[in-house]
Amino acid sequence: MTEPQRASAETALRSARFRAAREDAWHRLDEMVSRVEKSGVGTLSASESQELPLLYRSAASSLSVARNIALDRNLLLYLENLTLRAYLVVYGPRTGVARNLAEFLAHGFPAAVRGMRRHLAIAFAVLAAGAIAGYSLVASDISYYDLLVPSFLAGGRGPDSTADELRKVLFAPWPGFVETFIVFANFLFRHNAMVGIFCFGLGVALGAPTILLLAYNGAALGAFFALHARAGLAADLAGWVAVHGVTEILALLLCASAGLVISEKILFPGPESRLESLARHGRVAAGVASGAVGMFFMAGVFEGGFRQLISNTPGRFAFESATAVFWAAYFIFAGRGKER
Amino acid sequence: MTDVEGRLSALIEGVSREQRSIETPEGVSLRVALATRMERVSAFLLDMAFMGAAVFCLCLLIIPLFFSGTDMPIGMTLILFLAFIVRILYFTHFELAWQGATPGKKICGLRVINRSGGPLAPSAVIARNLTREVEFFLPLGIFLSLDASLGVARQLALLGWTCAIAALPLFNRDHLRAGDIIGGTVVISMPKRALKGDLSERGQSADGAAYAFSPSQLAIYGAFELQALEELLRHPPSDLALEEVCGKIRRKIGYAENIERHDVRRFLGDFYAAERAALEHGQLFGHFKADKTSASEPRAKS
Repeated sequence: MTEPQRASAETALRSARFRAAREDAWHRLDEMVSRVEKSGVGTLSASESQELPLLYRSAASSLSVARNIALDRNLLLYLENLTLRAYLVVYGPRTGVARNLAEFLAHGFPAAVRGMRRHLAIAFAVLAAGAIAGYSLVASDISYYDLLVPSFLAGGRGPDSTADELRKVLFAPWPGFVETFIVFANFLFRHNAMVGIFCFGLGVALGAPTILLLAYNGAALGAFFALHARAGLAADLAGWVAVHGVTEILALLLCASAGLVISEKILFPGPESRLESLARHGRVAAGVASGAVGMFFMAGVFEGGFRQLISNTPGRFAFESATAVFWAAYFIFAGRGKER
Repeated sequence: MTDVEGRLSALIEGVSREQRSIETPEGVSLRVALATRMERVSAFLLDMAFMGAAVFCLCLLIIPLFFSGTDMPIGMTLILFLAFIVRILYFTHFELAWQGATPGKKICGLRVINRSGGPLAPSAVIARNLTREVEFFLPLGIFLSLDASLGVARQLALLGWTCAIAALPLFNRDHLRAGDIIGGTVVISMPKRALKGDLSERGQSADGAAYAFSPSQLAIYGAFELQALEELLRHPPSDLALEEVCGKIRRKIGYAENIERHDVRRFLGDFYAAERAALEHGQLFGHFKADKTSASEPRAKS
């Protein structure tokens, strides 16, 4: 052992021999991964798709071995980098936007909604309580109306409006395609989606603001009804609201339930850590909220366009029943087969 | 080893990136470097620029509408709507199709991955990008539209909300924004690395090594110095620096023989090969020496 050590060609390092034996496979994996990174999974041939996971696993095991026998920094960093890149390709998403969206609508969304029916029931109870409170307040004293309904939503309707004026708003003539479907529907969509999204986003603040926002929106709705009931227009208002209201209120309730799920998982994370619990349930809740935004979009189109097209109360009720039946069937039955 | 690598990257690259480790389903733990906030902002701005260009091209298609007597507000509404659609599809599409990278992220060498190491689920990608809409674009859009009916208080509340959410990555260890928290993802920096030649082979000429070292001379340095020397040999800053290092090593290990100026590279190459052989040999028998100050110690297998 006291003999001076000379590295020579015959006794190449163990790590160098290890590397020489596997280098070709690494380069092959590297080439495939680079190709996928550049132009997608579709560029791999059938046999390459089968080979890729095998090469990935052998690179991962090479990394484990190299960490124990090699001190070549470049080699270690390269293998770690290669394994990580290959890992992202092997375990990365394999489906595109369109297919995911279709799958989400076909079963992900309704299943997620079914999963949060407790929260949905709470949200509905809060909204209903708000509506009843708003109705009885305004019915007992009309001056509460201005307090409960913000002026930009009332559209000029208030305690001073006569029955005729109220009727005129409910059965306004159709102002034309562009004005209704594009401008008004867009305004309504943005306003409603904002309310819904705040209901969801404020779930982060432990749910209290979500509940308050819901109760307040319920109260405004109740106040509106009380105002029209005074003029004997309750049924006509119901028709007017319900054209879009079924879709819109459902969407609002869904946003609020998703917000309540978030706040529940922050308050009571269960056996997981708060972040893990949020990540697991938040994904589902965000899915529901984004589905609800889609529903707001539909509601905006109904409200801005169809309401003016169907200008009699029975017709509106028929349309409303159709949407109610559609949503009920969708959320109760869609995608059941895929659940385990 | 991890701390050796951490010190080396701080020494060589000049930055100490925050590292996290994820475990693949095969049970191999991989170190990943978190993306810095600056990288994420630049990737986001690049993406915004690309999207802006895409929306602009789409807008060229609807220009004829303006000449056919359509009102300005309607045109604006259409543009906003197009921007909305492009934005939603852009991020989601690219993160799904390019294994968690958008064009901006790709240019900056960033990737979105699953925080716990599992597969990146499409639902996670969708959740993190829809949340971006909620946390940032929607309040911003409404604030910018300066809708007078909202009133000053609401405008300020929206601005406050936008700023607070946008600043969220500043306040947590993993630089997560709200969408990352909800989607269970994290953004990492992942530049592509190349495999270079093995220096222990290049150090030798056909007739073997010219310089020889005794075991006691090789027992002085550890993995840290070896890998720093590797970096120096791969990217020598100047001949002068090499000579300086050569002198330091000779003094430290007590190498009496003088080294001619043109032999410096050869000496360092041979020393690297011999030192690596000695350290790797020790490692095989369970003795890992981290650096010159630490004793060689049995290492728990990682």
